[in-house]
Amino acid sequence: MSTAESTTSPNPGLWDRIGTVFTVRPLTVGLALFWVWVLARWTTDFVLAGVSGFDRGTPFIPAAPFLTTADAVASLATPLGAAGAPLVWVADTLRFTADATAYLPALAHGIWTTILLTVFSVCLGFTLALPLSVVRVYGGRWARWLALSYTELIRGTPLLAQLFVLYFATSLTQVLRGVPGVGVGFVPAQAFWVAVISFTLNSAAYQSEYLRASLESVDGGQLTAARAIGLSKLEGIRYVVVPQGLRLALPSWTNELVYLIKYSSLASFITVQELYGRTSTIANETYQYTELFVLVAILYLALVVSASALMDRVESHAATAGVGHTRQ
Amino acid sequence: MTQPLLSIDDLHKSYGSEEVLEGVGLEMDQGDVTVLIGPSGSGKSTLLRCVNRLTEINSGRIALDGQDVTGAETDVNELRKQVGMVFQDFNLFAHLTALENVTLGPKKVLGMDAADAEAAGRNHLEQVGLLEQADSYPAELSGGQKQRVGIARALAMDPELLLFDEPTSALDPELVGEVVEVMRDLADEGITMLVVSHEMDFARSAASDIVFLDDGEIVEHGPPEQLFQNPTADRTEQFLSRLHAHEETA
Repeated sequence: MSTAESTTSPNPGLWDRIGTVFTVRPLTVGLALFWVWVLARWTTDFVLAGVSGFDRGTPFIPAAPFLTTADAVASLATPLGAAGAPLVWVADTLRFTADATAYLPALAHGIWTTILLTVFSVCLGFTLALPLSVVRVYGGRWARWLALSYTELIRGTPLLAQLFVLYFATSLTQVLRGVPGVGVGFVPAQAFWVAVISFTLNSAAYQSEYLRASLESVDGGQLTAARAIGLSKLEGIRYVVVPQGLRLALPSWTNELVYLIKYSSLASFITVQELYGRTSTIANETYQYTELFVLVAILYLALVVSASALMDRVESHAATAGVGHTRQ
Repeated sequence: MTQPLLSIDDLHKSYGSEEVLEGVGLEMDQGDVTVLIGPSGSGKSTLLRCVNRLTEINSGRIALDGQDVTGAETDVNELRKQVGMVFQDFNLFAHLTALENVTLGPKKVLGMDAADAEAAGRNHLEQVGLLEQADSYPAELSGGQKQRVGIARALAMDPELLLFDEPTSALDPELVGEVVEVMRDLADEGITMLVVSHEMDFARSAASDIVFLDDGEIVEHGPPEQLFQNPTADRTEQFLSRLHAHEETA
């Protein structure tokens, strides 16, 4: 063993420690703050609302300190003339932050809807995608053709068009409105469910393509061996091919999840007040378009990074030596 | 007179216009160890795969224990419970541990409960000397260990007949011995085995019969001493001399 090696690993130097603090921590700390805020918001607004002392949507952070600071910074900028532009920008940002404290409760509610929309759609989409992909790989000629047609039709047309067709051109909304419980209490109203159905049908097509590719990459000898011990073809697919295919599909499945978090914003076009919808409503009232869309971009980024981190955990949990990618 | 365990009669198999098996006939009694040898492309593996119907035949008859194997109404999954198979490329289930590989069949096909299947599975792994690797995944095993798990997996179904499709061909030379040793033990225990292999060591010491297959037909069939020492057909002699030459250079 060389001397260089022995100095690094057991006792990390100061540099290494600083490196850890500044490269890894800000993301973790940022995400932790984000989720603490989101969870606190949901708890106050959904659970504690109505209980004395808790008003739904009351900002956690007061606006006043931001306004005072903004005024102070602006007064510094005035004598500088054109050179004070950066200070003016800081003052404007602080003023928007003051406004944002009032918007954030609504956005937290939007985050809840976005998460529900994504989780329902990606899970229901998966339950459709799995049989679709098995049919694509192992089905008879006609079944394969049907599954392929579905996939191509969905992937070949815009998601927004699919959403509009379901919302405006079918009586799905009326049917859903008649379902008992829809729109009552915590259960979202019919437009939300139309969006869920639309995203499910869409996501199923994409997920089935990812799964098909993974199932096809499982070695043919695996099914042969399964058949040789007396499993039927369907049992062999279920117990041997699919468990391996799913592990191989995880990275691309993460991709689909991340896409859907962002694509779910299209639901705002059929009145669903998810994260984008709420932002857009506020922007239309306040004309603070740029600031609000920067803010919502940060919130989406937090959701996406959290989803990737979660799927990373799932991947390392599901990792099996020799199947898919294994971390050392 | 007792009926043979396996009887194959006038078996024909073609892939497209190419006839791979041209009227093959073979009988095996309980406890026989028959080794199929022959040049590559002679139809050895195809013959093996016809027996458990991984390959469908064109014409002829195969019977196991007097039961028709190839009939349209034969349940292939029932048949395969009785005929185990060991593959050249192992084909271990990559996402399952050695023990899970061995217990999948008993659990899902034979309907054994998990505890019984595991106890039996551990016995089978012990039989091939791999009890300590029970919780290892295939990717963590050497080739020889993989193949021994493959044998344990086939044994776990308690089959009447075991098929071996070139079980040592994919192994590094130094790993062949451990697999041959396990196969020899099975032969000694009286397990009926139909083996495609050019492992002369095994053929000489464990086989009851050697069958030389060339161009889709059985050229010669006899006990090892006779076939190896005094082959009657020229083709057999030529093949054996080439095999010996190869063995000496290897």
